[in-house]
Amino acid sequence: MPAPYRALSLFLALVLLAAVSPAPLPAADDVKIALVAPLSGRWARQGQLKKMGADMAIEEINGQGGIKALGGAKLVLREADAGDSVEKAVSAAQRVLTRDKISAGIGSWLSSFTLGVTEVAERLQVPWLSLSYADSITERGFKYTFQTSPVSSVQAEQALDLVVDLGKKHGRPIKRAAIVGDNTAATVFFFKPLREKLLAAKGIELVVDEVWTPPLADATAIVQKLRATQPDIMFYGGTNFPDSIQVLQKIKEFGVKTPIQGVGAWLVTPEYVKAVGKELLDNIQSVVAAHPMKGQDELVKKFVQRTGEPFMTQDPLCTYAHVWLIKEAIEQAKSADPKAIRDALAKIDVSAGPATSAFYPPRVKFDERGRRIGAAPLIVQWQGGEPFTVVPAAVATRAIAFHK
Amino acid sequence: MPWAELVQYVATGLLVGGVYALMSIGLALIFGVMRVVNFAQGDFMMLGMYLTYFYAVAGAIDPLLGAVLTIPPFFVLGWLVHRGLLARVTGGGDPQRQMDAQLILTLGLSLVITNAATMILTPTPRGIRTAYATRAFALGPVLLNQARSYAFAMALVLAVAVYVFLTRTDAGKALRAAADDPEAAAYQAIDVRAMHGLAFGTGIALVAAAGGLLAAYYPIEPNVAGNFIVLMFVAVVLGGLGSIPGAFVGGLVIGLVQSLTLLVLPFQLQNTGVFIAFLLVLYLRPQGLFGRRARTV
Repeated sequence: MPAPYRALSLFLALVLLAAVSPAPLPAADDVKIALVAPLSGRWARQGQLKKMGADMAIEEINGQGGIKALGGAKLVLREADAGDSVEKAVSAAQRVLTRDKISAGIGSWLSSFTLGVTEVAERLQVPWLSLSYADSITERGFKYTFQTSPVSSVQAEQALDLVVDLGKKHGRPIKRAAIVGDNTAATVFFFKPLREKLLAAKGIELVVDEVWTPPLADATAIVQKLRATQPDIMFYGGTNFPDSIQVLQKIKEFGVKTPIQGVGAWLVTPEYVKAVGKELLDNIQSVVAAHPMKGQDELVKKFVQRTGEPFMTQDPLCTYAHVWLIKEAIEQAKSADPKAIRDALAKIDVSAGPATSAFYPPRVKFDERGRRIGAAPLIVQWQGGEPFTVVPAAVATRAIAFHK
Repeated sequence: MPWAELVQYVATGLLVGGVYALMSIGLALIFGVMRVVNFAQGDFMMLGMYLTYFYAVAGAIDPLLGAVLTIPPFFVLGWLVHRGLLARVTGGGDPQRQMDAQLILTLGLSLVITNAATMILTPTPRGIRTAYATRAFALGPVLLNQARSYAFAMALVLAVAVYVFLTRTDAGKALRAAADDPEAAAYQAIDVRAMHGLAFGTGIALVAAAGGLLAAYYPIEPNVAGNFIVLMFVAVVLGGLGSIPGAFVGGLVIGLVQSLTLLVLPFQLQNTGVFIAFLLVLYLRPQGLFGRRARTV
């Protein structure tokens, strides 16, 4: 083989090897936790953010002496790539949970993925913490699934109440609404109650109802309908970044002034500022499960310094808290056995410390379905190129601004 | 439905289809000349988007110009990939084994490029902010997005340039001869292997340029190819395998059908329209729209 071909072959072989090489082996008494999140595919950015949160928590825990109940055992993260489909996510979960002795797991961001991954965790009896929103995640009678976020239907109700109140307060009552988004599970469960009962109960007419399967080829037809009907609010759930950018660009192009109420943390990630500019984002708000709240400046500062990200959002924050929550459960169970950790999580009741840092109200206690009792969403709003918590007022870092 | 709305749907479809068309002709050229199904075509498009992005960031070069500037480096890259990898599994031996080998090779290349890009460039989406991405030309009530209009015009110019190259230059004619009958071409002192290198380099350069045009209004991420690769193949098969004009028309038809489907079907079924049209064409005209020219360039 001529030298240049040999060099090229060697380079390609090295790239492949780097992709498949296993992580360094942990010491025998280390406690392994799994993170199944999209690390490739169209939601890879969210997986990357989740991993940042998990890494930060593990570094803190191990730096503070590890798990005391297990003689200072260290936590080790085993990540698996959920890719861009439910099949890949399920396969990744199956792989990571059978290849290694995993004590607990976290994931998998997109509700559609979480629905599949938690089935594997349930079958293999590994406790699973999720930030996903879909109601159905904890409606299947599973014993090993714990959902820390308020479910989509609750978020829909609270987001609607908020925009109706804001409209009244500013003399622009909400009479007509639009539903625009993709058909991923969390979005579907958010839109369903709005479409079926909530909007009608408040006397609001649904004038645009457009749902697509990602990826979106072009947003013209959607935005044309918005322009034609001029709704007073648009409930927006475009989880795939390129789709969402196309919709926002088209909204600007067509001069549509409808206020936007997003559904999820995908709408408040740093890359939006670069893609569409802070002016277009100003006053767009989104209902999320977690976002830095009043008094969390140190945590955010540490995250920003560690990662180089401009600010912290739901995904790293929740995963950070999930790792700490698993640590708390292990301390209480005094065991790394998945069943013992599951039982500890089912009974856990913590109201302070990093394990509650992501949640509002700051208390973690699960009901018999595995839902966090009292979980309430936050409203985050873009202001000057950064998203701030604006509702509830008690933990807000900025006052809410009304859409101009 | 008011006529203006219908015109808007048609115009939008054609503008979307213009870039699909440019993406697809590179694929058709490679298949037409080399009989290679290049699964990595979308990944070269993604790399073209990144190079355009780096031109914009490092040199403040507008993506429409950046797209053109991706052509020379990607031609060289394509030529090198052909010489270093593809030439080893094409151009001789059992055709069936060659087909298997090149399918595995291009699929593997696609996986390596996507994963290497994710590792090196990170999954964080990037975007080039251009004023014209959110502006429109107003033709009465019909709005034409400026970025898509410019991209469409440039795609048309590049497609015409490829057509002129293939039909009016000696190198283009030699390329077509190598596609029609490699053995006879070799008897005419045409270096078929060099023609394959030329075709692969040109095909990769074209899809990189299409990526550059796309980058003017579409976010860039390592997995962006997945959003377009199936449509590229559909366009090529729809137009008639290996036919350059066929692939161009195929791309336009896909954009048009995607847009017009929304008149009768909900958004969730947007691509269903494309595949129904695809199946209809295959049923009524299995050789594709430009079937008589199939397997020629």
